[in-house]
Amino acid sequence: MKNRKVVEVDNLTKTYFMPGGLSQQVLRGISFEINEGEFVAIMGHSGSGKSTLMNTLGCLDRPTSGKYFLAGQEVSKLTDDQLAVVRGKTLGFVFQNFNLLMKRTIADNVSLPLLYQGVSKKECYERASAMIERVGLKGYADRIPNQLSGGMQQRVAIARALINNPKIILADEPTGNLDSQTSDEIMSMFQDLNNEGITVILVTHEADVAMYAKRLLRIADGVIEYDGSIKDYFVKEDK
Amino acid sequence: MFKRIFGESWISITSYKLRTFLTTLGIMIGVAAVVLMVAVGQTVQNVIDESFASMGGNLLIVLPGASTSGGIRTAMGRPTVSRQDMDAMKDIKDVVTTSYASMSGVQAIYGKNNWSVAVTGTTPDYLDVGNWEINRGIAFTEKDLKAAASYVVLGQTVVDELFGFENPIGKTIRLQNIPFMVIGTLKSKGPGLTGDDQDNLILMPFTTLRQKIRGARQPQMINIGFVKVTTEDKLDAVMQRVNYLLRARHNLKENDDDDFTIRNMAELVAQVKKVGFYLSLLLGAIASISLVVGSIGIMNMMLVSVTERTREIGTRKALGAPNKWIMMQFLVESILISFMGSFMGLVLGVGLSQIGGVIFEQNVPISIWTVIVSVSVAIVVGILSGLFPAIKAMKLDPIDALRYQ
Repeated sequence: MKNRKVVEVDNLTKTYFMPGGLSQQVLRGISFEINEGEFVAIMGHSGSGKSTLMNTLGCLDRPTSGKYFLAGQEVSKLTDDQLAVVRGKTLGFVFQNFNLLMKRTIADNVSLPLLYQGVSKKECYERASAMIERVGLKGYADRIPNQLSGGMQQRVAIARALINNPKIILADEPTGNLDSQTSDEIMSMFQDLNNEGITVILVTHEADVAMYAKRLLRIADGVIEYDGSIKDYFVKEDK
Repeated sequence: MFKRIFGESWISITSYKLRTFLTTLGIMIGVAAVVLMVAVGQTVQNVIDESFASMGGNLLIVLPGASTSGGIRTAMGRPTVSRQDMDAMKDIKDVVTTSYASMSGVQAIYGKNNWSVAVTGTTPDYLDVGNWEINRGIAFTEKDLKAAASYVVLGQTVVDELFGFENPIGKTIRLQNIPFMVIGTLKSKGPGLTGDDQDNLILMPFTTLRQKIRGARQPQMINIGFVKVTTEDKLDAVMQRVNYLLRARHNLKENDDDDFTIRNMAELVAQVKKVGFYLSLLLGAIASISLVVGSIGIMNMMLVSVTERTREIGTRKALGAPNKWIMMQFLVESILISFMGSFMGLVLGVGLSQIGGVIFEQNVPISIWTVIVSVSVAIVVGILSGLFPAIKAMKLDPIDALRYQ
């Protein structure tokens, strides 16, 4: 596989301005690149800027300064609606608490990103059914989330993240609400997806979850503290 | 795209059935109240219109006796106007015709049936000025008037009471033991403005009443006179001329008060119509209050819904929903609720007003305007009460919304 850059972040900063003239710089000049097909874990203590970085990478937030190229497109200065289009077409989200629509069927949930791209109802259902089968939930298309276990719900969320053929899957603590056995299942699933060539960015604070990734970005006090092989990092720490 | 927004909104409101139904109820009651009250107002106005139409338009009424005398109401009904006075008015400019009447209460007998009724002695023109139509048979003529013929024309109530289903034409009835031949019957007018029975009457030539019922010694005085004028705008001018004529004929001096009263029917009609109109307006305004309360209910429910569904909004935004889409979804939800409420309210209001119409034996009209106005009100109420919550939903920051518990 060619090493095409899918994420290119250059000197990214984020400052929150609070009323009364106070301000807090959360990201202080972050630069890195992610190539297509990588499996990257972002780690850091709470308050390290990890979540802000994730929100920026997910196009939910704009940086104060610096550049962010997502699949070759500079997205740091786009409007809300332009960002919505980018999110809908190039990103797939997996959240800690699944964020499924509890009143809607599994098929409706999985096809939700397609809704905003003008895909017809029939095609939505067909593509959703295929994706539901792919994550191992064949026959569940017309159920509602409450009838499914936590692990199954997270699989639905993964199916939803995959439905629009995204460039990157962003998983924010995807196993935070799951027991260890189910966590392993979900993480194996991410590993399988990555083996198929999908770029995965994983935010976690658990080392054993992070170990599924290949590369580690460790954030501390708004700067990158470590960027390299995940095995090397933990092997060093063990010594 | 709009079809998909509509679909999403529809699923959302049908997911919370009880809440949606209760919110709909508020609008439903509001619209039903408006429809019902407008129908009541319309019916009242129609009853007024019909009652006055049955009395005839463009009409001056001449009553004997002064309405006031030196500030004091006196001599009301004192016989001062004669049939000759009324006949003389026919030569006044812009007068179509005149008529007059005199009434006496009598006991009417046919076979074993007897019935107490007011007999009206009048002229053939009375049918025209009083908007009466012949149902069966014929009316009496000027010739009958001159000859004081013993002919009577019966109102529907009298026909029912004396003859039942028997054909009264050509039959003889007795009034104060004097035989009269029934030559015609009048078309029913139904109850009058005050609920009185307008059909309980017998018409006969004025001369016949005077000679046969009252006795020939009675003077040629009348109880009421009618002056039919060409057009409504001539009423005031003709009123003046009638006044001059009567004063001259009665030899009244310059300082004498009128010994008669002239009433302008059109003026009275206009005033009563105005009262009817304001009554409709008042009823509609009161009903509108419940519509306002209903729309506040929608806004309240939508605000709760937006707060409750903050996470859903965040998720939708993260997955690529544009702001406009989010706003439209919530706006369409509130429009749908108010539209359904209005439709049910319309059905309820129309239904109740028709049931009321049956109970009170009135024809209750439902105008197309009631339908158009309630549907437009529904859309406006839906937009107004949904706009603020929808904008609130649109402005939610996806990061905060996703974190919301």
